[in-house]
Amino acid sequence: MKVLGSNELIAAVIDAGLCTGCGACVSLCPYLKSHDGKTALLFPCTRPEGRCFAYCPKVEVDLDEASLTVFGKPYTGEPLGHYIDIKAARAGHKMKKGNFQAGGTVSAIMTYALQKKILDAAVLTGRDGLRPVPRIVTSPASVAESASSNYSAAPTVSAFNQAMKEGYKRIGVVATPCQALALAQIRSNPMKEKNFTDPTALVAGIFCTWALDYRRFRKLLEGRVDLNAIIKMDIPPPPAEKMEIFTKNGTVEIPLPEVREQVPEGCGYCFDMTAEFADLSVGVHEGRTDSNTLIIRTERGADAVNGAVRDGYLEVSDLPKENREHLAAAAGNKKRRAMEKAAGEGLVNTGSGRCAAVRLSSITVQRGGR
Amino acid sequence: MKNSGIGNDPFNVIITGVGGQGNVLASRMLGNILSDQGYFVTIGETFGVSQRGGSVMSHLRISGSSAWSPQIPRGQADIVVALEPIEAIRVMAYYGNERATVLSNTRPIYPVGVIAGEMEYPDPGSIREALGRLTGRVVLIDATDEAMKLGNPILGNVIMLGAVAATGLLPFDRDDFKTVIARSMPADRLEINLAAYDRGREMLLETT
Amino acid sequence: MSYLFDTKSGTRYLMMGNDAIVRGALEAGVGVASAYPGTPSSEIIEQLSRASRERNIYVEWSVNEKVAVEVAFAASIAGLRSICAMKQNGVNVASDFLLHVALSGTRGGMVLVHCDDPGALSSINEGESRHFARMLELPLLEPGDFQEAKDMTAWAFGLSEELRSLVMMRSVTRLSHASGNVTIGDLPPTDKKAVFRYDGPLGDPDTGPVVTMPVPKNHVLLQNKLKKARELFEKSPFNTYTGPEKPELLIITSSACNLYSLEAVRLLNAGGRVGVLKLGTTWPLPPELIKKSLSRADKILFVEEVLPFTEENVKILAAEMAAEVGIIKFYGKNDGTIPMTGEMNPDIVVDACAKILGITYSPMPADYEAAAQEMLKTLSPVRDLTFCPGCPHRASFWNIHNALAIDNRHGFTCGDIGCYTLGFLPCGFNTMKTSHSMGSGIGIASGFGKLKQFGMDQPIVTVCGDSTFFHAAIPALVNAVHNKSDVIFILLDNSGTAMTGFQPHPGTPLDATGHELPDIDPAAVCRSLGATVEYADPFDIDGTQTALLRLMEEGGARVLIMKQMCALSPAKKGKKKFEVRVDENVCIGENCGCNRFCTRIFRCPGLVWDPERGVAVVDEVICAGCGVCASICPSGAIRKTEARA
Repeated sequence: MKVLGSNELIAAVIDAGLCTGCGACVSLCPYLKSHDGKTALLFPCTRPEGRCFAYCPKVEVDLDEASLTVFGKPYTGEPLGHYIDIKAARAGHKMKKGNFQAGGTVSAIMTYALQKKILDAAVLTGRDGLRPVPRIVTSPASVAESASSNYSAAPTVSAFNQAMKEGYKRIGVVATPCQALALAQIRSNPMKEKNFTDPTALVAGIFCTWALDYRRFRKLLEGRVDLNAIIKMDIPPPPAEKMEIFTKNGTVEIPLPEVREQVPEGCGYCFDMTAEFADLSVGVHEGRTDSNTLIIRTERGADAVNGAVRDGYLEVSDLPKENREHLAAAAGNKKRRAMEKAAGEGLVNTGSGRCAAVRLSSITVQRGGR
Repeated sequence: MKNSGIGNDPFNVIITGVGGQGNVLASRMLGNILSDQGYFVTIGETFGVSQRGGSVMSHLRISGSSAWSPQIPRGQADIVVALEPIEAIRVMAYYGNERATVLSNTRPIYPVGVIAGEMEYPDPGSIREALGRLTGRVVLIDATDEAMKLGNPILGNVIMLGAVAATGLLPFDRDDFKTVIARSMPADRLEINLAAYDRGREMLLETT
Repeated sequence: MSYLFDTKSGTRYLMMGNDAIVRGALEAGVGVASAYPGTPSSEIIEQLSRASRERNIYVEWSVNEKVAVEVAFAASIAGLRSICAMKQNGVNVASDFLLHVALSGTRGGMVLVHCDDPGALSSINEGESRHFARMLELPLLEPGDFQEAKDMTAWAFGLSEELRSLVMMRSVTRLSHASGNVTIGDLPPTDKKAVFRYDGPLGDPDTGPVVTMPVPKNHVLLQNKLKKARELFEKSPFNTYTGPEKPELLIITSSACNLYSLEAVRLLNAGGRVGVLKLGTTWPLPPELIKKSLSRADKILFVEEVLPFTEENVKILAAEMAAEVGIIKFYGKNDGTIPMTGEMNPDIVVDACAKILGITYSPMPADYEAAAQEMLKTLSPVRDLTFCPGCPHRASFWNIHNALAIDNRHGFTCGDIGCYTLGFLPCGFNTMKTSHSMGSGIGIASGFGKLKQFGMDQPIVTVCGDSTFFHAAIPALVNAVHNKSDVIFILLDNSGTAMTGFQPHPGTPLDATGHELPDIDPAAVCRSLGATVEYADPFDIDGTQTALLRLMEEGGARVLIMKQMCALSPAKKGKKKFEVRVDENVCIGENCGCNRFCTRIFRCPGLVWDPERGVAVVDEVICAGCGVCASICPSGAIRKTEARA
């Protein structure tokens, strides 16, 4: 991949409105910081190339390179990405009842992986009031504190960078699609470091249609919700068209169209709904509130799932065909819309020395990875 | 051995350095020494904001007849005493001429722009060569290093005064210096200042 | 023996212009001295404080220049001689009161010494204060050398008593801070009693109430005082003429420009062709003297700074006297012979005279000049101003800049006057975005904080020093609180008036003479106004930035006091709290993750880049041992250990 520096990163991503605040460029150096979902450059860096640019999932992302790193095969553009199997899943008996989102699959797998020391640390995203807070967790019991969904974009990869700095070597991450793509970039060793080893042991992706700009979301809720009393947030399946916010003082409903207005611009360029670059991806199980869809993508992902099931942390069952089809259709729509938008703005396979958002082989483009 | 007078009237001395190096103190000492001899002395200084890391100058006019401008006219320096080497160049660029005597400390104080990597600080050879092109009489003195041996880098300015004395260009000697510092310094500081003066004198004579 | 106490009249000293002014005031038996610190005037009060140890003088660092003049005025109408000192800006601050002093008159001799800073060597303006004399109708004197600085000051008190008017005496940096020979006079006894007479009839200058009314009557009296002054000035020995009876060119000059003019005449060897009229009584001009001078020559060159004050005053007289003096060719600022802005120096005068007289004078051979200029460009990197090593402002601006950048809403910082004014430069990370007069930072911020209804929705921050706070900021802070303006007021409390030499102020527990006084707590003042008040130690980088980010989320008038002593304060100076060194095995240097963060961005002069080894190094001669850099180093390579006591 083409690696440039922070100045190019600012111009091509932040100033261009593509940033989704994933945190990949943060905690590498003192120049870039994340706050309330936004990424800021504190001082000018003069380096012509750096990790901030290399890790960013919104600039010069070579999808084939990323795919080869994670899967050993090139990118195909299929709606759900590469996978081995798709199941329904939920937390098993070993997991105490808690504040899970739907089936609690991610918490279960992470707890298992920490317990069995497959991971030496897990990077999760908790919440402080409404504000998402990335955390480095080493004790299995602490996983539950980060269990419920955030809807705001969180700089989770900055905590991953911090974990790498602190010397952890087998890091697990719960990542949104853009964060998982950033991790794939990191894993591809873009800076060509000698003696490089993959610092991740497990990447658990979560489905994402869009995220919310924290500041704008907070402004929307101020006055309607006591932000410090939020227990959980959820968007029920259509035709509900609302967001439900469960607080200690009762439930507040916000009309979904109002919520959608707080989606950052950068999400419009995202072609990945199911976190295609993770080892396994977890999301909604249509029609069920106590279960998840679980996409198993890699061998180490499969190992984690099988081990979690064997030891009682996780239960899996078959997922009906129509669920799979609906999921593929939804994912395909997001991919098509995003690629059309990006291509229309000249951000796909960009030429004449300017930065592209993504690069993919022309075969994939023709096949309508659109 | 004292010289009998000043080479021209007014005789112009510039003491230059970086804010905080003690050039004001040095100019006062020298000014008082010559005022005691009966000369009219005028001293012009840069104070205040320029002291915050900026270049500073003291202009001394020594005359038998009257006070003169506290700013020396262009090209009229007779002696340039530089507590920092690139300040010597800066002063000579505006006030220099071929008959001026330049005595310069060797230890650099890096401008913040140099520290930040925006500018380059010249190497000692280039400084020496440049000064040599501007005047025939250049003496470089490791005043700060010697001052640190004596226990305090600020003594560099007194070492340079000793060097000035040794040039014989101004009519004063060790006793004149001693009289002046005895008036203005606590008694326990006299010895170390005299030692600095002596060392400066020694170093100048070593180079001739 | 200090010149302050020497009673041996006739002794010759080498002293600063300000010292000479002090000696002149002492020789006039001054009783009260008040001022606010301002370069180049601050030494006047400092030296009078020392004198007050042995003479009966009350010396005060007042909260601002207006109050300083009011304090000195009280002494005057109680029959004591008083002196007030300030820089050019101070006259602006005191001007409303001065307007009324002019009308009400004075009793004991009262002299206002104002020291201008042409070229803004230590100011952020080069304001011309002489125009106030004309506007307020007060007599104005200008000493032309160091002896005159003493003699004129002493004489000014007597003049003030004769006219019953405040006398303005104007100096400039190149006199106040320059040194020359002065022969001292006698010191009188200081046994005058303070008595304020006020129960006489209205209008009685010695015993009546001291008021400006009735204004029409008092204005006529004021004009009569100026008339009287003109008469006295005709004979003043402070107006001197040097040169031939009928020179080809007459220079009219005053103040330090007198010395530049004499220098120019000498350099051009033009003593036979050029005469120099040095005016010491600058306003009102003595018309007969001017008429005589205008009759000497057909060409007149005005050498003064900063604005063409005397030039225009003389031209008015010339127009009025045209029938008698004829047509004269005037050279000066208005025709561009002398630059309108910046400070004067002998070279400018040499150029002007050479041009007028047709003399070719080359200060430097052309090839020498060319070579020297080339060396200047390539071998003399410019010294940008910076904060001292260990300065708390560097840390404060670091925190403010970073918090605003992290907050990412285009918030900004208004600025004020002090060492921290440098905060608009790279040494302050270009944080400050406005900078005007004392107290204007919070005033402007108070305005910004009310623009939400026009869409301005970003953090508004302002910085203010502890001395500036008492001088002028309090009324504007009242304004901000009362009008519910959303501002963050950061008080940079370094425990002194640092820029001008670390003088005390009402927030410090000592006065000008070193005695203990009750210090006023700025936090208590702010709280009583209704602002929220918090403290932060700017050297605690994380703590301060966290506090700032939180404050930026809130509204209303929020005060954050960043308290840390100035690096040059007597309590700290010379003592390192930490020994700081760089572990070069850990230093990342130019590589990704650092890119020379400490030397390129933080820019403390104590940190130096070693290009050969590719690491940062601490310069132990310059490092003040504050340890802040250890907190900002991204790799932890900068290590601080407690210094041995």
